[in-house]
Amino acid sequence: MKKKVIAAIMAAAMVVTSLTACGGKKPTVPADAAGSAEAGSVEAGASDAAAPAASTGDDKTISFWNIATDEPDKTIWSYAVDQYNANDSAASGYTIDQVPTVNDQYKQKLSVAMSAGECPDVYLHWTGGPMREYIKSGYAQDITAIVDELGLRDKYNEAALEQCTVDGKIYALPVKNQSVAVVFYDKKMWQEKGYEIPKTIDELEALCDKMKADGITPFALANSAQWTGSMYYCYLVARYGGSEVITDAYNQSGSLVNDATKYAGDKISEWVTKGYFPDGVNSLSPDNGEDRALLYQGAGMMLHGSWQVASIKSENPDFYENLGAFPFPQVSESSADQTAVLGTLGDNFLSFNCTGDKLKEAVKMVAYYASDEWKQLDIDNGNLPPLKGATSEEPAWKDIIGIIENASSVQLWWDQYLPSSVAEVHKSSTQKLFDNSESSEDVAKEQQDALDEYFTENSGS
Amino acid sequence: MKGSTTLAKRRQRASAICAAVFLAPVIILMLVYFVYPIVATFANSLTRWNGISPEKIFVGSYNWNKLIHDAKFWKAFGNNIKVMAISLIVQMPIGILLATFLDAGGKKFNIFKIIWFLPLLMSSVAVGYLFHYALATNSGIFTAISELFGGGKIDLLGNQGTALYAVIGVICWQFIPFYMVYYMAGYSSIDESLYEAAIVDGATRTQYVTKIALPMLVPTIKSAIVLSITGSLKYFDLVYVMTGGGPGESTELMATYMYKESFSKYNMGYGSSIAGGMFILITLIAGVTMYVMNRNKED
Repeated sequence: MKKKVIAAIMAAAMVVTSLTACGGKKPTVPADAAGSAEAGSVEAGASDAAAPAASTGDDKTISFWNIATDEPDKTIWSYAVDQYNANDSAASGYTIDQVPTVNDQYKQKLSVAMSAGECPDVYLHWTGGPMREYIKSGYAQDITAIVDELGLRDKYNEAALEQCTVDGKIYALPVKNQSVAVVFYDKKMWQEKGYEIPKTIDELEALCDKMKADGITPFALANSAQWTGSMYYCYLVARYGGSEVITDAYNQSGSLVNDATKYAGDKISEWVTKGYFPDGVNSLSPDNGEDRALLYQGAGMMLHGSWQVASIKSENPDFYENLGAFPFPQVSESSADQTAVLGTLGDNFLSFNCTGDKLKEAVKMVAYYASDEWKQLDIDNGNLPPLKGATSEEPAWKDIIGIIENASSVQLWWDQYLPSSVAEVHKSSTQKLFDNSESSEDVAKEQQDALDEYFTENSGS
Repeated sequence: MKGSTTLAKRRQRASAICAAVFLAPVIILMLVYFVYPIVATFANSLTRWNGISPEKIFVGSYNWNKLIHDAKFWKAFGNNIKVMAISLIVQMPIGILLATFLDAGGKKFNIFKIIWFLPLLMSSVAVGYLFHYALATNSGIFTAISELFGGGKIDLLGNQGTALYAVIGVICWQFIPFYMVYYMAGYSSIDESLYEAAIVDGATRTQYVTKIALPMLVPTIKSAIVLSITGSLKYFDLVYVMTGGGPGESTELMATYMYKESFSKYNMGYGSSIAGGMFILITLIAGVTMYVMNRNKED
């Protein structure tokens, strides 16, 4: 008898751990009887019929997943949770349960949770391709009406809200930062050497040649992650052919095999041949900050996302004092808009997987990330919130804000804008430009083929 | 009350219950973590599914057709075969050599035993990062040596021609100790009296190793070969950490390709057919290898 009990407990324990490993939330299958629970877990995993698990009002806890595992993110993200739980919980009866996960594992954890029907009520993402997958799967709710009701539209940057909008409906709210790709440089070093900020690609190339003559590697780039090098490609394409190149390709009204992608690919190949990029560029890792290290060691400039400001500030305060930024140079012979920036206005976004009152309360909680007090908190921590009237006194940020204000439009990074399957091909194919192993035409064709395949596979459903 | 047979019956029943209790955890574990995933993988491979949606669209053999004509998958398979071949050629002989050396040396070589075993104790991710820096183009070991002799920088991991071989080198570094220990266990299972008898009969140490110990080690070698083959065909972690399959697709293995399709591209359906394809290919290769090796034994 005793043994049976032990066996039952063991089996139940195993089922529970296997479920929690997937869900990260309390399992919905009761693990009371060993046998039935085991069968239940198999069913829960395999079931196709599990409804898109937008939980309704009976559960009074709003689960909220984000990636705030380190400071200063912890402070920034906890603010709204603490405010809501202190001010609104009593009246509404809902409480927020914040679950932070390390960034590297977050995306996968979220996918696994969704596939198990255990999607959290509020979760963080980066918009673009994955957000469209979430919407398609029924895990992101339309919050347009609530946003209007709470008067949130006036608080956010229009372009930032635009990034959360699909077919005229708002599916997410921007939170943390306005990240755009700009060129960073060491003001002091440039002054000593007499370098001038290049306005055009021709000037940039002349500057790079000068740097090479001075024994300086012009670009600090670490491209093992592939999206870092892709920024050069995207900017060159946008400068030559405008942001329409990628939007047209995505709307199936144009092809990626065109003059703009050829220009971009050929330029990168040419720059690689001339030695503008560091040795072993495709093996250097941006995750370890190997690109910043090159910049500290005296490389000429670094094209990177503006979140680098915070990293440089904490990592190398002496260098930070002389950190400057300028927009990607222009292609003078092109008629396309030359002020567009590549980036994301929000950086982190929140979507909602609940309905009714719960959804409204969840949006109310997120609205604390649009309050003036939070705005200041975010700015103090080195970010530029996606809210109207956000400014910063930090010198590097002043340069960047100038670039954003001057920009006619913001083009989301291709690897976020494109559907995930195409984004991977975009990244791996452009990487081949950086060791000159594939021609610009083939790189463009590879991406277009991936797009075509995506549309063929998704046209039926 | 129940007579004299009760004891035997009770004993029988007790041992049946006992067997069930001891077997149940393993059977449940096997069902949940082994049988179910394989079945589910093949079921998923017949669908178009993004991995998160509750809705799976049945597409029949579409994914399998795509897999058979997918040049990237076959390139990855080719890379796996290279990993397998080089692993066999490099790891097996060195493993046997080290084990023979340690076996001959006895206790006084314990220090080597410990040092050589160290790589296996590190997690693959740690090994990956370690060698990422050790092989780095700027200030890595090879670059430092090359520059010492007036040469240029050496880019091993960022070069499509060398990246795969650099990674295989690291894989060998990590797994040679495993086979060393494996062969040492093989040696220790050979009866001491055989060695004594051989020496009494006038055999030298070399003759003992080549004529007696190695032939007796053959079953161990065979199972090590099968382990090495299956291990290198499903290899994932070190490659993922060191190169992520790049540059381009030069170090893409079947497993990293499967991971990317399933979790980065949200093609869980196609990812499942890659996993299914891997399962079939690995089973086939391992099966053929075992068949060939066992047939030789009977001749």
